[in-house]
Amino acid sequence: MRNTGRTLRATTVLRGAGVVLGIGIALLWSMPLIWSVIASLRPPGEPFARGQVWFGSGLSLENYVRAFNLAPFALYFRNTVLLVALILSVQLVTSSLAGFAFAFYRFRGQRVLFTVILTQMMIPTVALLVPNFQTIRFLGLYDTILAMAMPFWGSAFGTFLLRQAFLGIPRDYADAAMVDGSSWAQILWHVYLPMATPSVVAFSISSVNWHWNNLLWPLIISQSDTVRPLTAGLARFTQLGEIGAQWGLMSAATLVVALPLLTLFVIFQKRFIEGFMNSGLK
Amino acid sequence: MTTRRGHPLLPYLLILPTLVFVLVFTVYPTIASVVGSLFQHRLNIPRYREPVFYGLGNYVDLFSSDDFRMILGNTLRYVVTVVPLWIVTALGLALWLSRPRFSRLRVAMFHPTMLPMVSAATVWMFFLTPDYGLFNEFLRLFGYTGPENWVSDPNRALWALVIVAFWKDAGFYMIFYLAGVQNLPRDVYEALKLEGAGPLVTFFRFTLPLLRRTTLFVTTIAVIGAFRIVDHVFILTQGGPSGRSTLLLYHLWQVRFDSLNVGQASAITVILVMMLLVFTVTNFLVSERRTGDA
Amino acid sequence: MSTRLMTGALIVLVAAGAFASGQAEPVGDQPVTIQIAYPVAVDAPVAEILDGYAEEFMAQYPNVEVETIYAGGYPDVKTTIQTTIDGGGDAPALAVMLATDLFDLANAQYIEPLTPYLDAMDDGQAYLDDFLPAFLANSSYMDEIWSLPFQRSAVVMYYNADLLQQTGHTVPSDWESLAQTASDLTERTGDTVTRWGIEWPTGWPYWLFQPLAMGAGRNIVGDSDTEVYFDTPAAIDAIGYYNSLSHEYGAMPEGVQASWGNVVPNFVSGNTAMIVHSSGSLSNVLSQADFEVGVTGIPGRDGGSYSVPGGGNLYMVSGLSDAEKQAAFDFAVFLTEPARAADFSIRTGYIATRESAFADPDMQAWIAEHPQAGQTRDVLASAGKELAVQNLGEVRTIFHNYLQAAFNGEMDPQAAMEAAQQEADAALEDFR
Repeated sequence: MRNTGRTLRATTVLRGAGVVLGIGIALLWSMPLIWSVIASLRPPGEPFARGQVWFGSGLSLENYVRAFNLAPFALYFRNTVLLVALILSVQLVTSSLAGFAFAFYRFRGQRVLFTVILTQMMIPTVALLVPNFQTIRFLGLYDTILAMAMPFWGSAFGTFLLRQAFLGIPRDYADAAMVDGSSWAQILWHVYLPMATPSVVAFSISSVNWHWNNLLWPLIISQSDTVRPLTAGLARFTQLGEIGAQWGLMSAATLVVALPLLTLFVIFQKRFIEGFMNSGLK
Repeated sequence: MTTRRGHPLLPYLLILPTLVFVLVFTVYPTIASVVGSLFQHRLNIPRYREPVFYGLGNYVDLFSSDDFRMILGNTLRYVVTVVPLWIVTALGLALWLSRPRFSRLRVAMFHPTMLPMVSAATVWMFFLTPDYGLFNEFLRLFGYTGPENWVSDPNRALWALVIVAFWKDAGFYMIFYLAGVQNLPRDVYEALKLEGAGPLVTFFRFTLPLLRRTTLFVTTIAVIGAFRIVDHVFILTQGGPSGRSTLLLYHLWQVRFDSLNVGQASAITVILVMMLLVFTVTNFLVSERRTGDA
Repeated sequence: MSTRLMTGALIVLVAAGAFASGQAEPVGDQPVTIQIAYPVAVDAPVAEILDGYAEEFMAQYPNVEVETIYAGGYPDVKTTIQTTIDGGGDAPALAVMLATDLFDLANAQYIEPLTPYLDAMDDGQAYLDDFLPAFLANSSYMDEIWSLPFQRSAVVMYYNADLLQQTGHTVPSDWESLAQTASDLTERTGDTVTRWGIEWPTGWPYWLFQPLAMGAGRNIVGDSDTEVYFDTPAAIDAIGYYNSLSHEYGAMPEGVQASWGNVVPNFVSGNTAMIVHSSGSLSNVLSQADFEVGVTGIPGRDGGSYSVPGGGNLYMVSGLSDAEKQAAFDFAVFLTEPARAADFSIRTGYIATRESAFADPDMQAWIAEHPQAGQTRDVLASAGKELAVQNLGEVRTIFHNYLQAAFNGEMDPQAAMEAAQQEADAALEDFR
């Protein structure tokens, strides 16, 4: 690299401009969230209107107090954590096995079976409600966290994503392992899964995220607060059909629901990158 | 492909757990929909409360209805707008934010995905308010003076849905490109740099082809995703004004739970699944053939 | 490793199966347990209030166990009931669903008629007659009563009484004075409107439009369950008037307005002088406005005041045992007792459903303190029937589509309403 002083300065300026632009776009993109945070802290008696869309006369936690009083968020939080853990742990097992089979083997009916599994992503919830309700009732699982989780244990998305990731791993690694006499399980566990860490993390994030925010199925298949997830609490504030949204209250409830997840992501964001670094790919 | 060791049934055993749950909780309801779509089954009409065979009648009724054709048109316009927006943005963001110094910005781009759609749409409802809504304030910074009523203008309601969906999920698709970009071979890029290849050449000749598999994946899930999100329609437009923002899935809800027309709802389900299947399978056949042996 | 993975998956499967078979059937011959599914549609602690009522009820009826189930918004309650019954499950005994859902719910046999139980009451007719007539207007079908009014509201017009007084206006009493007042109260700085005279949301338009059509001489719905009157001169005239508020008088934003959630904040902050909204917003409006708020019906073309009711009724869900039915009915009656109807109204902002509730001392004290609560009740004296017909989902969508086309100037009101009438008649054909 032979940069003259001038181009060096130009590069620095460009780079600086890039950072500024980046921060600008990020801020713009985060505006709804920033607004929600501010809205949630607005004293409830002060309406949002022209010229009064940001801060109120002061900051107040009253919306949060009200949200916590109106819905048992602590209980819901426990249920949501249980629910997403129950879904993700099984999904990781089923999807790695299936993804591995589709990426590593050639077998009869492969495409048909893969397409059959893919339909899981395509069919709309509306078509699932009644038949799945029947199945859950037949299994005697009505009003349990298991009932909310089970329909999602076979994940087309997970299978698809892990298959893609596994396909991207050079054959030599697996071949070398096989020469060493490793079984398929050892290859999956010691070669494929470690190298697919970014995809596993990406899948985990999207699975947790999706089920953290899913409302309708849990609502229909349960009736007790002891099993219901956070979104049941949120719905209490977003569906005020008669009077229209209460922005401050809705924002407070949203943040109560989303904050744990956002925090988790910020923490995982680091792991996410480390995952790439350790994946051994050049 | 080289032969693999192991029992010939092994791959089937490996997919069995996934397959069992998919068969019970997806395939069975899908088949039920296919069968159900052949019946006149309307819960709110006594003589059709029990299903009466109707052949392809439900499909004929649907495709001969101007409203349904408009809904299909809305849906297609929505999908072909939002999917490319997602993909181009996701790829651009991933290339840009893959540099370590931008890692914090990723959170900013990704976080909308983590908000529940009902909340996100409700916040956007406020942002899209005519007159003092923040979205209009923002546009005015650039000298925009056009109409400001986004969700109730017949020519804008659909775009309001696009805006919200775009904002919400662009960051989601970005993470798959981020994973792909991280896997790009660094040495190739260093070699290209030494040869003095321009950024455009590098992008179109190398980056894009190398990311083809990621693009296939993202395109597939993005198209399916575009068809599947519906909460913002309920919150923002209720399909209005005059049905201009009614999407297929919203219509399906209306037909099943508002009009109690189970047969027709099944037919719409079948149409929706067929559209997605045809798209996915072609997408696959075309791209896997191009990649050669997958 | 491989076996461990597989075993893990298997264990989960087996555990699921064991869990399934391990669940016991409920044993009969025990005290009755009933459930009530309800939505929350206003900003009030409805869950807490209903739980309190359930406690009181169980103290009076020791044999009955009442469980309250919060089910989301109105659509979620209906979806839950439909899914449960279509899926062969045991639905909650009572459900609070929209009063207008009556025909579909009854046709699909999701609900049971209440008439046998009302007949068995000592004073069943007197009990029914005590409900405000407008609220009971959506309860009869096939000569039976199917639902009891519970969380009810009405279309009202809120006005900024202080502003009207300061500017020397009286409360608008007909279309002309309404338009004139709205026009006078609209303020502009240059081209920008800083205060609208009136806002009238039309994102979900039939409800807020009905009083306007009634005020022009004819409601859009008739007495029978298959009659709609969309293409009458009254409806067409009402559209013309609505449009004129923006086009001629410049007193209202133009075209369809999906502003349901915005108009209350606009009103209480003084940015809009008058709004048409639900009476369910009353507590919100009163707690946030720092001026005197007035509540009235929608003025008619030549005077008078018009409104339609809205909100949810108590339905008895089908498929119950006789003991459950009786308990469900008893609880429904218990919930509608005058003192409780009054209490519910005071604590939630809904309108008390019964005449005698307004004689309740707590209610009278409340009205003395908040005269607006009494005004909402007066509005109901001239209220008509809310749009409820057979095949409601389809008919309503048809009406909305054409009404919005007319509001947005895409179609001439006459042509739009003629098309709406024709399509609605076709949609109702199967039910005649």
